[in-house]
Amino acid sequence: MKFSKLFLTVLVSSLFFVSCSDDDNENETPLGSYDNGVLILNQGGFGNGNASVSYLSDDFTTQQNNIFSLVNPTITLGDTAQDMGFYQNLAFVVLNASNKIEVMNRYTMAHVATIATGLSNPRYIAFSNGKGFVTNWGDGGSTSDDYVAVLNLSTYAIITNIPVAEGPERIIEENNKLYVAHAGGYGYGNKISVINGATNAFVTAITVGDVPNSLEIENGSLYVICGGNPVFGPTETAGSLVKINLSNNTVSNTINFPAATHPSNLVVDDNNVFYTVDNEIYKSTLNATTLPTTPLFTTTAQGVYGIYSFAVEDNKIYVGDAVDYSSNGKIYVYSSTGTLEKDYTVGVIPAGFYFND
Amino acid sequence: MTLKKQFLFAVLFVCQCICAQQDSIVKLDEVLISDLQLKKFSNSQSVLKLPDSIISKNKTSLTNLLNYNSVIYFKENGLGMVSSPSFRGTTAQQTAVIWNGININSQLNGQTDFNTISAKGFNSISIRAGGGSSVYGSSAIGGSIHLNNDLSFGNSFDNSLQMSYGSFNSLGVNYKMQMASARFSSQISISRNSSDNDYAYLDSDKKNENGQFYNTSFNLNLGYKIDSKNVLKLYSYLFDGERHFSGTLAAPSKSKYSDLNTRNLLEWIGSYNQFTSKVKVAFLSEKYKYFENAATSIFSDAKAEMFTAKYDLLYKVNSKLELNSILDYTQTKGFGSDIGENKRQIGSGILLLKHKPFSNFLYEITVRKEITSNYKSPILFSVGTNYKAFSFYNLKINASKNYRIPTFNDLYYQGSGNLNLKPESSYQAEIGHEFKFKNTTFSVTNYYIKIQDLLRWSPGSGGNWTPNNVAKVTTYGAEFLLNYNKKIGKNQFDFTTTYAYTISEDEEKEKQLIYVPYHKFTAALAYSFDKLSAHYQYLYNGEVFTSSDNFYSLNDYLVSNVGIDYQFGKKKFLQLGFDVLNVFNENYQSVSMRPMPGRNYTINLTFNF
Repeated sequence: MKFSKLFLTVLVSSLFFVSCSDDDNENETPLGSYDNGVLILNQGGFGNGNASVSYLSDDFTTQQNNIFSLVNPTITLGDTAQDMGFYQNLAFVVLNASNKIEVMNRYTMAHVATIATGLSNPRYIAFSNGKGFVTNWGDGGSTSDDYVAVLNLSTYAIITNIPVAEGPERIIEENNKLYVAHAGGYGYGNKISVINGATNAFVTAITVGDVPNSLEIENGSLYVICGGNPVFGPTETAGSLVKINLSNNTVSNTINFPAATHPSNLVVDDNNVFYTVDNEIYKSTLNATTLPTTPLFTTTAQGVYGIYSFAVEDNKIYVGDAVDYSSNGKIYVYSSTGTLEKDYTVGVIPAGFYFND
Repeated sequence: MTLKKQFLFAVLFVCQCICAQQDSIVKLDEVLISDLQLKKFSNSQSVLKLPDSIISKNKTSLTNLLNYNSVIYFKENGLGMVSSPSFRGTTAQQTAVIWNGININSQLNGQTDFNTISAKGFNSISIRAGGGSSVYGSSAIGGSIHLNNDLSFGNSFDNSLQMSYGSFNSLGVNYKMQMASARFSSQISISRNSSDNDYAYLDSDKKNENGQFYNTSFNLNLGYKIDSKNVLKLYSYLFDGERHFSGTLAAPSKSKYSDLNTRNLLEWIGSYNQFTSKVKVAFLSEKYKYFENAATSIFSDAKAEMFTAKYDLLYKVNSKLELNSILDYTQTKGFGSDIGENKRQIGSGILLLKHKPFSNFLYEITVRKEITSNYKSPILFSVGTNYKAFSFYNLKINASKNYRIPTFNDLYYQGSGNLNLKPESSYQAEIGHEFKFKNTTFSVTNYYIKIQDLLRWSPGSGGNWTPNNVAKVTTYGAEFLLNYNKKIGKNQFDFTTTYAYTISEDEEKEKQLIYVPYHKFTAALAYSFDKLSAHYQYLYNGEVFTSSDNFYSLNDYLVSNVGIDYQFGKKKFLQLGFDVLNVFNENYQSVSMRPMPGRNYTINLTFNF
């Protein structure tokens, strides 16, 4: 017996018992007000239920993560936050895997309502005529159950569903009309649906390039970046920048990208056009007839291999990096010429920037 | 009597002691085990055998059986859902599951879901810690779990019917029949399990929705002695199950998943003086269907069919030296909505040697080389010794190179698969000390594993997820196993405990891998008095990280089960039992956002006739 005890002692003492209790959860308190800054929506890992909201003030002096949970400690925001929409003083967070929308005060983060019925794979939200319009994929494997849900903004109930083509993704409002990009869901789409915001009626569909992934409206025109079918798609196609005249819903101009180039993240800001390809940021102008051949800058130095989210505001360029999709993500703020000015660690998979002024 | 025997045999940590007279006679044992290499060439590693008595005592799943009785850590997506093992800080795909000597890890995803195997279909389950790829092929990096049907000859006819009913409308029925004569042996086992599985989440107003499941499994094993030299054996296994996949605390689910797995093995054993030859032919199939919405008929599916032919020749040169060669040809076909149709052929040659120059010392060497067109296969080896320094002390040392080959999903998944993958490979070493005293057995094993080319799925440019050989991992730790049993008059005590300390670190990030606890501890205390027996099980799982930056983690948990059984009758008996699981109502999650059940109950009835 002594022999075994000796061995046990030797072996146990040779182990390094790591203390895993270095919790550095500082007792963070809510700021009280989250205006004059940008809200960063962190998607969270699919299935992990850790979507969150981060805040960064306009003057970059204040940054806080997990602000919804700080204000509403008993409420789990949800799983896979896809989009945030502002309506009056409310923020609507669309939670894809949770099949719900959480409504909160956009300035205080105080929880207002949960919309948990009538949504099926909800994606993005826009507002028109005092109503919310939410794109829904339905079952990903079904090509015929996709719809835009119409939301009553006083009762938070779904009023009606507008059936649309497969894979409705981004949605944008202009002049009481809604424009829905059909990126295609599990497949690959090439349409923009037009919906009348007053009557909730489908108006028409406009054919654009393959996989329209981002929308911007400027001077009565809708600008669409189409990513093109990816290399693993049925047939790879190049991306395109499509301009649609909203007075007659027709394509007025298309600029094609070089082969095997898949742009995304369109932003139109003061006659400037920004978009990204992999880890490169490009800048063009609204009336340019050709695309720039060299990027404004790249995120290579930051080790960002694919730009997950992107925004331009007040001459600053914001980039969200999903890192390895399980760890906390990063955001980078660059000058208008691409000089890195700030970087912050935010929540898991920063999916969008929403300027809260 | 039988119950007492159960506790007596509940000595979990039986040393692989080498007794001088153990294998001096070459003849067919009365009990035939198909996995010869587990028995003969696993002397330098720790092998923990869970006998029939422990298996039949376990009222629930194979996951629970192993979770409460071994150092293997389990990740379970809620009760009854996908359950994956992690051995020595490695992944589920680096843990091999061996059914009667045949590797049954999924060809599609590389791992075995322990909730698609019914524990009751097997007579013995062995846990072989450490590298085993040179014998068992892909995945045996952390260790291997061996599911065996041991056929015995000699006149017998036994029937057993076990029924259990518990919380959440959980129903389990198992019928087992064993019939044997001097030349013929047969076993049949049929199991059916079902559950509404709609348990309330503790400290929440939610419950486990869409978690219902049922499954049926069927085992048939036959042995026939043609003459004194030749034996034919057939092993057959079928599992058919359907599970709705439950949601999480944050996301509801509508999905369901069905599995249909079949395994058939035909074996011809010839024993000729110093030679024992085995010809094995196996056919395995696995098939799944996944419905994103159980209410619709839209699904994705995949199927894999594997055919294996093996020739295994054992040559006993003399009482001190044994040589074994195995030639193996395996062809696998995979089909599916996401993987297309593909075929893989692997030929391998294995040489094993065991030399016992002294009665208390042996060494064993195994070398394996594969030929395949699909990937570059390294030469695998294992070298080990066993030295019985004292009557009560055994020293085991083993070093090996092991691998895990890419799966059909890794290679062929539509738009994502990567045909240029290398196998994951590892170098590893371990040293084990085993002590055996009158009432106590105790062992400590220290190990060190270096894994390279770890396969990881990550998004490339354009957001397309693909697998690549990216990571290097260093894993090391220690395992402690202890058993104590004592009989005082009619009182029988049995105490077993296991503890694993595991560091598994990504070399680049210098962070612990996700879902690897630093600490896992189990303890089981069994007491019996005449026909009454009672048991207490205890499981402690340390904190695990759920993100690779180790920022997010799941709390540690501590779960206890208690049970009591009473037996009526003697040899042909009736036994009544009552179990309380999670008796202290611990609110815990094995996988993030997926709460496990609180306190729940099972009653069970066993007829032996």
